[in-house]
Amino acid sequence: MTILDLDNFETDFWKDVDKRATWDQIIPGELRDTTPVTLTQEVIARYAKGVGEDNPLYFDEEYAKSTIYGGIIAPPSIHILLMFACTTTEDWMRSPGTINAGQNWSYHVPIRPGDTITMRGTALDRFIRKDRLFAVHENTFTNQHGEVVCTGRGQTIRPA
Amino acid sequence: MTAEEQFNQVNEGDVITGRPFTVTRDTIQAFADASLDYNPLHFDDNYMKNKFGKTSFDGVIMHGMQNFALITRTLTDWLIPRGGFHRRLETRWLKPVQLGHTITPVVTLQSKKKTDKGYWLLFDVEVNNQDGMLVAMGNAMAEFIDVIPGKR
Repeated sequence: MTILDLDNFETDFWKDVDKRATWDQIIPGELRDTTPVTLTQEVIARYAKGVGEDNPLYFDEEYAKSTIYGGIIAPPSIHILLMFACTTTEDWMRSPGTINAGQNWSYHVPIRPGDTITMRGTALDRFIRKDRLFAVHENTFTNQHGEVVCTGRGQTIRPA
Repeated sequence: MTAEEQFNQVNEGDVITGRPFTVTRDTIQAFADASLDYNPLHFDDNYMKNKFGKTSFDGVIMHGMQNFALITRTLTDWLIPRGGFHRRLETRWLKPVQLGHTITPVVTLQSKKKTDKGYWLLFDVEVNNQDGMLVAMGNAMAEFIDVIPGKR
């Protein structure tokens, strides 16, 4: 179990750029290299605040207990963080110039403080349209109980 | 209140206007520090002078997923006090959002649907910039449910 450490993350996305799969090297169906991470209440609060969330459900245990959630949860969008937290510096989603074209995500079990989240990610597909190189990525996140937390699919335009 | 009672208290056609969000270098930095997405698209003015395939940008752009998070916030801030559970969000990014732009998500409860076991809300999503230009669109689903999955 690795507690997610936001302060020692490699922020230079040019590092390891030559080790990442280019569009030509992306193999649909191949698994991306991932590591499970544990999200503390502090990490959840920092994520929430950083993306502009201020709902007490993410910060205030007493309020959260009064809702159907029964305690603090992470904002559903926290998969945005997990996409980078669970992958390595050699993952192609970090390639400079990766442009997001659209996303769809389904949510099932909310993430709670202390949960350890595992990512399973692949490139589902790749194609060329209007002279642009596209990759479709597909992801499933599960918690330490083996429950599906959320699943999502997105399209990115790959750097040429 | 039961899920069914909560379902009966919301109306098709309800419009939820999100809080306007103005993009600055500080908001981009805060989003990067929260999401760990440090792509130079969002930071490096020199890099952004390049052409990206056929596309060129006028300076750094906001993270597309900032928009995703703001749409999520608009939905969940409305849903949580009503007992609703955010279930799905699908988005398409139509135009880049740049420094100084102000974007506002608008979500419309397009229809209510009762399934065999669920009470569902279907939303249309639009995000407009300060010039009234559509920068993102999508749709979302929420559910009224008596017990949240995985609750212990």
